[in-house]
Amino acid sequence: MASVHAIPSLDEQYEFTAEAKRRLIIGGVVGVALVAIGSFLLASGVGEHAHEAVQGHGLSEGHEGAHGHYTWMTRFWANVWVNSVYFTGIAVAGMFFLSYNYLAQAGWSSVIKRIPEAMPAFLPVMGIIMLATFLIAGHDLFHWTHAELYVKGGEGYDPIIAGKKGFLNTPFFLGRMIFYFVSWYFLWRILRNYSLQEDLNGGTEYYYKSMKFGVVFLVIFAVTSSTAAWDLIMSIDTHWFSTMFGWYTLASWHVAGLATMTLVVVMLKEQGYLQAVNQSHLHDLGKFIFAFSIFWTYVWFAQFMLIYYANLPEETIYYRERFSGYGGIYLAPFFVNLFLNFVFPFLVLMTRDAKRTTVLLKVACWGVLVGHYFDFYTNIMPGTVGEHGGFGPIEFGMILIFACAFIWSVSTQLTKANLIAKNHPLLEEALHHDI
Amino acid sequence: MATPVNSKFLVGIFDDDDVVLKAVREVRESGVRIHEVYTPFPIHGLDVALGHPRSRLGIAAFMFGLTGCITALLLMSYTEKFDWPMVVGGKDSFSFPIYIPITFELTVLFTALGMVATFIISNNMGPTVKPLMFDLRTTDNKFAMAIDLEKNSLQETAIESILKQSGAAEVNVKQF
Amino acid sequence: MHITSAVRTPLVSGGKTYADVTEDVCRQVEGKPTREWTIAFTISALVLVYGSACVFYTWWEGLGVWGLNKTVGWAWDITNFVWWVGIGHAGTLISAILLLFRQKWRTSVNRAAEAMTIFAVVCAAMFIFMHMGRPWMAYWALPLPNTFGSLWVNFKSPLVWDVFAISTYFTVSLVFWYMGLVPDLATIRDRARSKVSRYIYGALSLGWNGSAKTWARYEYMSLILAGISTPLVLSVHTIVSMDFATSVIPGWHTTIFPPYFVAGAIFSGFAMVQNLMLIIRVVFKLEDYITTEHIESMNKIITLTGSIVGVAYITEFFIAWYSGSEFESYAFINRASGPYWWAYWAMMTCNVISPQLFWSKTIRTSVVWTFVLSVVVNIGMWFERFVIIVTSLHRDYLPSSWAMFHPTLFDISDYIFSFGLFFTLFLLFAKFLPVVNMAEVKAIIKSSSEKLPQSVSGVAKGERVTNPTFNKNVD
Repeated sequence: MASVHAIPSLDEQYEFTAEAKRRLIIGGVVGVALVAIGSFLLASGVGEHAHEAVQGHGLSEGHEGAHGHYTWMTRFWANVWVNSVYFTGIAVAGMFFLSYNYLAQAGWSSVIKRIPEAMPAFLPVMGIIMLATFLIAGHDLFHWTHAELYVKGGEGYDPIIAGKKGFLNTPFFLGRMIFYFVSWYFLWRILRNYSLQEDLNGGTEYYYKSMKFGVVFLVIFAVTSSTAAWDLIMSIDTHWFSTMFGWYTLASWHVAGLATMTLVVVMLKEQGYLQAVNQSHLHDLGKFIFAFSIFWTYVWFAQFMLIYYANLPEETIYYRERFSGYGGIYLAPFFVNLFLNFVFPFLVLMTRDAKRTTVLLKVACWGVLVGHYFDFYTNIMPGTVGEHGGFGPIEFGMILIFACAFIWSVSTQLTKANLIAKNHPLLEEALHHDI
Repeated sequence: MATPVNSKFLVGIFDDDDVVLKAVREVRESGVRIHEVYTPFPIHGLDVALGHPRSRLGIAAFMFGLTGCITALLLMSYTEKFDWPMVVGGKDSFSFPIYIPITFELTVLFTALGMVATFIISNNMGPTVKPLMFDLRTTDNKFAMAIDLEKNSLQETAIESILKQSGAAEVNVKQF
Repeated sequence: MHITSAVRTPLVSGGKTYADVTEDVCRQVEGKPTREWTIAFTISALVLVYGSACVFYTWWEGLGVWGLNKTVGWAWDITNFVWWVGIGHAGTLISAILLLFRQKWRTSVNRAAEAMTIFAVVCAAMFIFMHMGRPWMAYWALPLPNTFGSLWVNFKSPLVWDVFAISTYFTVSLVFWYMGLVPDLATIRDRARSKVSRYIYGALSLGWNGSAKTWARYEYMSLILAGISTPLVLSVHTIVSMDFATSVIPGWHTTIFPPYFVAGAIFSGFAMVQNLMLIIRVVFKLEDYITTEHIESMNKIITLTGSIVGVAYITEFFIAWYSGSEFESYAFINRASGPYWWAYWAMMTCNVISPQLFWSKTIRTSVVWTFVLSVVVNIGMWFERFVIIVTSLHRDYLPSSWAMFHPTLFDISDYIFSFGLFFTLFLLFAKFLPVVNMAEVKAIIKSSSEKLPQSVSGVAKGERVTNPTFNKNVD
């Protein structure tokens, strides 16, 4: 309706309550306990009997990605890696959203801008965890880190992997990883500082500066999003390659980030914050999730279809492993992924009313978030733990730990500034947003 | 809309889209039934102000899309699985992933054509249709609010003054 | 409510009223053709006549008149086809995707861009018919039963997907464009003073009356059409790219092809829109509606999509090396340093480097630079398709059958034919239909004008017939 909206007060201070903190700590503790239980069970060999038979056939030996010296620790680290990749993506998607909204001069999103702005603060945590994981467990997760692959004439020599040495070698890999996190994080710091200063001083100066640095981020991210996807995920299946993989991962990160943002907006609204956010804003966020879920599906399908159609062995092995390899344990996650990331949001968010109904919006967001966890799960697990994979306490626990830490980080950031960027030059448009 | 025969209308001509939107609310509040408002471009919120129900074209579009989707799948599975099974490129005679592009295209085609046809029919439009124009300037720069005098109990002069008060630049009488 | 932030650049200058919009756009539809138009039309028509003769000869003699050989079985024909289809992506992008993104600057350019889309797709389709060699057999591409003595079409072939994709895209674009025209055609109908044009525009406008209910349904329909056209426009170039990518030919089989082709298509399409709009705004005196802001916005999209294409080039090159597949690596090294190196470097320079010049505000707001760079981009995009198609084919797994492709007069003339066709159709459109969407521009006047006139309604110029005969219930 084009009626005159009553514009509520823009001064909102988010309070990170003791109750919320207590819950997050409990969640984290439960997570740690679950991981401990899961690790204990794995270490004592519970549930491993079935796999020994498979191993007996020698399926895993000599197969890339599966390692001769599998221990339960591999599964632990693989879980750390899946969650790190997932939450890194969500965190950086906040920065991505901010940047392209500046570039496109989007008005409507200025009212919710503080939420994506709070997300990238988690990047340093992720960076440190990922670097530590790589240094501690790189050999377990990344087949290409094994030195014997590169010894010409040696027993373990792999000419194809040896050919990739110019790119896949530890110093260069570490350098790239540090570059990703440092460049993403510092560009976010710049934008965040401008945003906070804009709150204090007003004017359009910070807006134009933010636009400039948003574009710098987009240029860097255009390359680093792809290379990060190759490094962090694709290089696990060292032989395999797909030119689409970078954009596919970006699509996955982006839509997971959008779902997170929307969920935070809806939850804050339910707690009585963000009074200025109206149904039209929710509708727009819903449209974003709807559209980019379809975009993710498009990219997923294009990659799958071309590999399926051409049927080249070195490419199809990737999908073979997920369809019928390792005793078929990855078939279910594979289809869960497709269902939750395409069919579910597509059907739930199709109508206009659904995008304006907070319950349905939340349901769709949770579906997409779970779905994209499984996206990374199916991309990372087969190449790291192979037939030892599964979904047990260790997986649940690890998600809990990371999620609680992430929520803690976001909540802390939200308390640091007014919930609405009140001096954003386009805010007035957002306050009267009506579609 | 069926052509009203032998109806007498009062037509308020407005100069400004914001004024006409405000006028619609005022005129309706004063108890006058508005026949319709004619504008040179869409005015956001005008249909809501007039109390028009929301269009159900979306449902029609969905149904047409579904039809297209099913048609495509039936066509391809019938020809390739039953009528003349063939293995091409090592693919089964029925290979679902390969049918997705055409299924998508036909879904879109059916949706678009079906919905546009529904739109044209439901608005009683067509190349031979003679439209009922209350004022020819409404496709240029003016906004016209038509009020059917037969369907209103108020006097013509009373309605005229309501229209004038709410910002009409001129009020004309139009008989069909 | 028209809340527009002060940081936004206005989209309409000159203090236009609603009546001014009608007048400025209808002027060339109603008036006599200008001299510039007549000259341009004559040239296009002559080119079309020459091209048609060459196409006819191509069909009469057979495809042997082209420079194709056993190794390079696809060359200019498919290059031109992909190039035109690519150009045909910008119109739907502007009208559908930018509608969903509520980009107001779209309103002044969408009409002409969509028309361009339709004509570009027509040109693309011509190359499909040409390369069939026997166009009277074209119906064999349709899913018809085997009573014709052949099998059903092979639904597993990407070329059949193309038939569906291109014809759906053409149909839906045409419908979208035409429905967008209807309100404006009614404007012309109501201004018409001659019986003939009143009759023609009356029939074309489908009895549009502009009631609030019709407009509400109309807007809803436009949104849904935009919603389904958005994936459609992606799907079309995706399927075109799959003509190549489903194969196992090095340089063709790569998973990034679908989105990368789409980005390239939008890139070249916007360049073509720029070229046409820059001419139209001057010839038709529409500088107040197609402002520097419009040009700048389109240049930003050109830079964005050009950079996406650049990232895709680098990705392809990198993965060709990373894959460890010697054939794949060779295909790319051969592109850059083989006998077709000039085509590759023309493509790189025109597509990746030249749009980066638009980072400079001076260049992206300059009409001359924009025009020149848009031409350069389209040259580059033609070379991209040439590089992908010909250099991937000319050296395959068997060195004894390596060959070069040499275009003949008929390769060139058949390409020239498509220009004649395109510009003839476009000039006809520009003369007889409103080149700017009047209704949509009027809807943004209040929110996006540089300065508002005293009365936004304005005074309608020109006489009108008060009781036209097409309004049958008139007393």
